[in-house]
Amino acid sequence: MVYSLVAADAVPPITQIVLNYPAGWLDDVRKIIDHYAIKTAVTYGEAGATRHESVRLLLPLCDNEMVLIHESARPLVTPQDFHTLIADERENVSYMLPIPFTVAPVDPKTRTVTGHLDRSRLRNVQLPQKFRRSTLIAAHESVEQSGIQFTEDATLCAVTGAEVFFIDGSERNFKVTTKTDVRLAGYLLSGEAEE
Amino acid sequence: MSAQGSARSVMVTGASRGIGLATARRFWQHDNGVVDLILVARDSDDYAAAVAALEGHNEYRKRLHVYAADVGDKQAIGALVAEVIGDVERVDVLINNAGYTSPLPIHEIEFADFERTMRVNVYAPFLMVQKMLHLGNQFELILNVASTAGIKGRSGWLTYSSSKAALIAMSEAMKEELLIYGTRVVCISPGRCATALRRTLAPDEDPATIMQPEDVAAVIEMLASPVGRFVDSENLVVRL
Repeated sequence: MVYSLVAADAVPPITQIVLNYPAGWLDDVRKIIDHYAIKTAVTYGEAGATRHESVRLLLPLCDNEMVLIHESARPLVTPQDFHTLIADERENVSYMLPIPFTVAPVDPKTRTVTGHLDRSRLRNVQLPQKFRRSTLIAAHESVEQSGIQFTEDATLCAVTGAEVFFIDGSERNFKVTTKTDVRLAGYLLSGEAEE
Repeated sequence: MSAQGSARSVMVTGASRGIGLATARRFWQHDNGVVDLILVARDSDDYAAAVAALEGHNEYRKRLHVYAADVGDKQAIGALVAEVIGDVERVDVLINNAGYTSPLPIHEIEFADFERTMRVNVYAPFLMVQKMLHLGNQFELILNVASTAGIKGRSGWLTYSSSKAALIAMSEAMKEELLIYGTRVVCISPGRCATALRRTLAPDEDPATIMQPEDVAAVIEMLASPVGRFVDSENLVVRL
């Protein structure tokens, strides 16, 4: 979380950081903001049960009409990544990467392969992303009744009718999930990789 | 973090004599982009004379900020850092130079003296950096003055060697952690150098025959210059 915060804090057009915290962790999160002397104004919101719900709960806390969404699981984000998104003249933009491997549609119950996906028509969704706040709120409202959960907001906005664009991300800004990812991120962040 | 070459502020601890004073002189007397020079030392006649000499010779119209503090006192460091950031706003280059020793064999060491050695040589640089980070200061360069005594312990130097070994390791940890801000953390280990501290360690030695504080100050000036980044990857031994 600290790496993402420090990167965002170095971007002057970001005037507010809306940060979620798991229930019971507010004091710990506040302490981190204090210790790392984050200069940007921070607004805290309790996390939802899912990522989808967390975004929905944080949206009313955002002061600005243009909103960037980032996740702390991507600590290798750079201030330039935020600057590029902000400078993009389009409203709803996400970083995405081509997929260098094949993704197969399957039926997990019967463990059968059910078809074929053309990988040239697929992208690996990355964060950060930029949205108009009202677009994002409308998208969340339109799926609230159906109960469908999205794992990120570019596809959510797209399927609910908004125009969402993508620009090429960086393989360095990967999502740190597995133990191997943690080791790789540690290696890249320590500067040893520059050798 | 300020860009290389723009107006910089440099803070030197232990600035009343030895390597600290020689370093302060170099930053003060050269046309090198340093605009604010911040000195820290305990009150002493040496310190007053050093400050007067610097003020009397200010060719490049720099600003001198003089603070009297004992860096072995944790509370004093807290107050000092708040005062410095209040006055000068930011510290681009911090030179943790203040050092203390009272060399004795293990049988004779007073525990309180070992504690003072650690407070001045280890906790002071740590507190200086941590308190400034908490106030949002982003350093361009932190330079910690360790010692070859921290690489190899020697008889009679138990407390001093232990403290400098800790400072060398602490610098390595700081270097990795502050990479996120683009801060360079550099550690140098001077060998025998003609300072008051050296006279305490080796009273019978002729100071004229060994490395001078001005020599170490020249190395520090080089490390703080753009070329410094090419030689700062490891603890740098500086000796004759």
